[in-house]
Amino acid sequence: MAFRKIFTQHIQKKTCHTMAFYKKHGGYEQAKAALSKRKKPDALIDLVKASNLRGRGGAGFPTGVKWGFVPKATDKPKYLVVNADESEPGTFKDRLIMEKCPHLLLEGILICCKAVGIETAYIYIRGEFVFATERLQKAIDEAYDEGFLGNNALGSGQRIDVTVHRGAGAYICGEETGMLTSLEGDRGNPKLKPPFPAIEGVFGCPTVVNNVETLANLPYILEIGADAYRAIGPENSPGPKLFCVSGHVENPGTFELPMGVPLRTLIDKHAGGVWKGRKLKAVIPGGSSAHVLTADECDVAMDIESLAAAGTMLGSAGVIVMDETTCMVDAMLNVMRFYHHESCGQCTPCREGTGWLAKITHRIAHGEGRMEDLDLIQDVCDRMVGKTICALADAAAFPAESIVKKFKSDFESAIQNGGSPAWKKRHPSVVGGTASHA
Amino acid sequence: MADTLSFSPTTMKQYEWLLTRYPTRRAALLPTLRLAESEFGEIGVPEMRYVADLMEIPPAFVFGVVTFYTHYRRAGTGKYHIQVCSTLSCALRGSEDVVTRITERLGIVPGETTDCGLFSLSKVECLGSCDTAPMLQMNDDYHEDLSIDDVDQLIEQLRESAKGGSN
Amino acid sequence: MPDIKTPTTRWTLNGQEVENTSGMTILEAANEHGVEIPCFCYHPGLSIAGNCRICMVESNRSPKPVISCSERIADGLEIETESEVAVDARNSVMEFQLINHPLDCPVCDKAGECILQDHSYSHGPDRSRFIEDKNIRHTKELGPTISIWGNRCIVCTRCTRFCDEISGTSELCIVERGDRSVVDVFPGIPIDNQMAGNTVDICPVGALISHDFKFEARVWNMERKDSVCGGCSRGCNIEVETLDGFVKRLMPRENQDVNDWWMCDEGRYGWRHLYSDDRVLEARGPSGPLDSSRSITAFIEILDNSPRVAFLIDPFLTCEELHLVHALASSSSDSLVGGWLPDQGAAAEFPAGFKISADKHPNRNGAEQIFGHQVFGEDASQLQSALNDRSIDTIVAFCGGPGSDGPGQEWSAALAKASTRVLFSVQEGNWLDGATLVFPATAPLEKEGTWVSEDDRLQRTRSCWKPGEAPFPSELVFLQSLQSALGTRSRSLSAAGIFRELSEVCAPFADHNHSDIGSLGLLLSDRPTGVGAGGGA
Repeated sequence: MAFRKIFTQHIQKKTCHTMAFYKKHGGYEQAKAALSKRKKPDALIDLVKASNLRGRGGAGFPTGVKWGFVPKATDKPKYLVVNADESEPGTFKDRLIMEKCPHLLLEGILICCKAVGIETAYIYIRGEFVFATERLQKAIDEAYDEGFLGNNALGSGQRIDVTVHRGAGAYICGEETGMLTSLEGDRGNPKLKPPFPAIEGVFGCPTVVNNVETLANLPYILEIGADAYRAIGPENSPGPKLFCVSGHVENPGTFELPMGVPLRTLIDKHAGGVWKGRKLKAVIPGGSSAHVLTADECDVAMDIESLAAAGTMLGSAGVIVMDETTCMVDAMLNVMRFYHHESCGQCTPCREGTGWLAKITHRIAHGEGRMEDLDLIQDVCDRMVGKTICALADAAAFPAESIVKKFKSDFESAIQNGGSPAWKKRHPSVVGGTASHA
Repeated sequence: MADTLSFSPTTMKQYEWLLTRYPTRRAALLPTLRLAESEFGEIGVPEMRYVADLMEIPPAFVFGVVTFYTHYRRAGTGKYHIQVCSTLSCALRGSEDVVTRITERLGIVPGETTDCGLFSLSKVECLGSCDTAPMLQMNDDYHEDLSIDDVDQLIEQLRESAKGGSN
Repeated sequence: MPDIKTPTTRWTLNGQEVENTSGMTILEAANEHGVEIPCFCYHPGLSIAGNCRICMVESNRSPKPVISCSERIADGLEIETESEVAVDARNSVMEFQLINHPLDCPVCDKAGECILQDHSYSHGPDRSRFIEDKNIRHTKELGPTISIWGNRCIVCTRCTRFCDEISGTSELCIVERGDRSVVDVFPGIPIDNQMAGNTVDICPVGALISHDFKFEARVWNMERKDSVCGGCSRGCNIEVETLDGFVKRLMPRENQDVNDWWMCDEGRYGWRHLYSDDRVLEARGPSGPLDSSRSITAFIEILDNSPRVAFLIDPFLTCEELHLVHALASSSSDSLVGGWLPDQGAAAEFPAGFKISADKHPNRNGAEQIFGHQVFGEDASQLQSALNDRSIDTIVAFCGGPGSDGPGQEWSAALAKASTRVLFSVQEGNWLDGATLVFPATAPLEKEGTWVSEDDRLQRTRSCWKPGEAPFPSELVFLQSLQSALGTRSRSLSAAGIFRELSEVCAPFADHNHSDIGSLGLLLSDRPTGVGAGGGA
């Protein structure tokens, strides 16, 4: 079966985001069927389980299984919180969905609400996405006008409400429990797990947290069925996927391709290859929290299991390409500063470790590194991983440990030659050398 | 000052509508702060106190929330807040040059506001627009695929707008 | 019928099978078996935060170490607290805690009672690998009684949780993010609640500093005594800390039946009047100071020559002191005893149950048990009328409370109508003018004896004076000396001994003794069932 696009097939059309356009192209038909009073919610959960749909936010957890964790018998209201916080560096796919096909997301939300018995959904969208928020709100207003939301949503007999909730600038609010704490009106501090959100999430109630792209897959799954969906790409990580490519390529952008597309094809064929005729040096395949790949390691399929087997991850599918002129010390400094800035500060290893990593890298880049700093970085990373409330510490450690290990020569060079090339260019008069600290 | 602050009737209606969307009052805090940001132009101490009193939330709690997040428009921010994305993908494609150019043109470094109060410059983290790097956010708007000329032009346009007394 | 037992869980701790009440956290359960797991952010009186991570242990149920303060015991759970994984996890956390921590120990008040120091010593690396610049955070006043040295803050949130959950005042918050996070207050709203001082106690490091105690003393130089606060009739359990016999600091002591882990600021900071310039420090007669034996002689002369001696007691006197007054009053014929009470203050009740009493004195209850429930009521009215009618020649009055007003305007005016006044007072004041004899009185913190709280709890209060270095004879000592001189006492006894006498003649106190009362007290109605039963030593 030829690959059919479900996100980007209409994005060139000026009105592709409107209700009229969406309905004209078969929109809301799947949700209408799913929400009919005769359709059993469990059947929907089973279908999504069978499809092997895996979360598109970064963790890749099987969506149907997650829905199945929500207790059926509960007095408490259940909530859906859509993760539209998209702050993973290198990632911009959810934004495309919200700006160009917001109704696809809303239809997915309706299907999820029916499957899990949810009446209230929040779309937690990062505060900086002002235009996407406007598009989303407009789509929601249209949906309420048509009776697709509100009382008796789509004739389901069920009330379904969707509220857009703007974030205010914090990467950690993309972490599912950080998002929930922020939704509750607090600093975006992730919560201790267990209990997991499906049991006790926002407002102490069972909560499903799903990524925008994950939910946007649902109408298609209902349309073609689980078997056909599983056949798109590898069976354990199937479906159409939005891949974001940025950095040193001729043609950065979002590419809709089946899961499992080879990384080299993605970069060379779709993104136009490394720019300016240069050679490839490094690739981050899944947002900055993923282990880096050297140019030689790029013969890998872009799906969850293949990348995991290659010692990295698909993550948010934010592919960042670096050419041969990139100093990996500078690249790492940039990424370490990001995590240092974004750590919520709750728990000790992350709060202090992200700062430490940034400071060591800064010192190396600025000409005062020592050879022992490379082992120190590895040790700090080991001491951070697996010891914190959430995975931000891991997200900082993974790029750190892999960049230092795989690009050791860049670091050795900076240590021995007075700093990174960028630093030396800005400070030509400083005579570098190894650190004079005791 | 704090006692003269209050939401207009329209904004108060929006606030009341917000309260109907959440099971707890506190959950409406972040969106209410956005209402305050829009109504009062910035979130400073009096504005935080107003929201805290309105929502019957301890002021210290609101203070902790506002200082946690980076995107609320804080007191003393210039009329045009230029936020240059500086995370990896943008850095790889020249975000530093954008910052340097703005510093040359406006005479301020990141974290500063011009004396006339028109411009503030910040370096911010990934804005989710990596395919159009380098880029920046000016108040609510994204300005993408920036060349140095684009930066010059943007600054000129903003200066013109300010003179014209328009938004 | 089988007993309904509390459900228990069997689990394995460091290779040994153990059993605890189901639902306990690993930390609390391990503690019951004598295995102490370090913590910073955990406090038994506060909600679980789980942010410091130092309590990590190895678990068979998780590939990563788990935090024992929030994970609960379960059937089949196996926990190792001393395995390489656990020890390394703790060592890591300690290393991270210290990298930005300033080396302030030489100038930090917390040194010697600092949890960071303790855990660093026991669980941390012995040297630093951090050669970067340390973070700078604010140092500022957070309120009238508390300041913060932000560089020392480990963002454990104990203080913010305290203000949310215990005092219910929510003045403290964490501001900023990441390693810029620090405790702060809303600009213009300082921390100023009646329980604020407790935040300094629970701060695991020297970030929160008490203005009252700043730079006053090194904790290891101070002597500590378990005692009870005399500020109100709650009877919060406290520790009195002294340097060379001078009070330097009061701290709460845990008593789950009275004050949990807390005390109020009024009690905590209410000791400075002990050293006010206007203390009465020696006995005096109309012509000047009197030494001990001459003051006793003068007192006896007055008693011998008075047809009618009345006594005005206060609610600060210990049960032992009251017993001696009672004996004295009983031995005088036709004597009248009444009691005066300070004005009521404000009562308060806090969200987690901590209370402050409106009765700003510790032993009204004890006085009523010994002299009867009407001693501050009917008897007092009777006494005041008799004084105003000038039908009392001699009055012996006690004022163990702070301030120079004595027993207040009304009583002072009535007392002045007696021809002979023997007055015991802590501080100087106009009400002492023209008195025949003035004796120094002990303030509550200086008393050795017992009080009965408003909950009918019998508790021991200890004197802050260094043994053998009393600045003047306490009422306990003086009244016994008086009895000796009168021939009604053959042997001077300690407070415990006087209490024994009291328990033999006063029913509410029967079968109680100082040893059983111990440091946690017991209810008057608790009768020990055997040796050492009831409170500890």
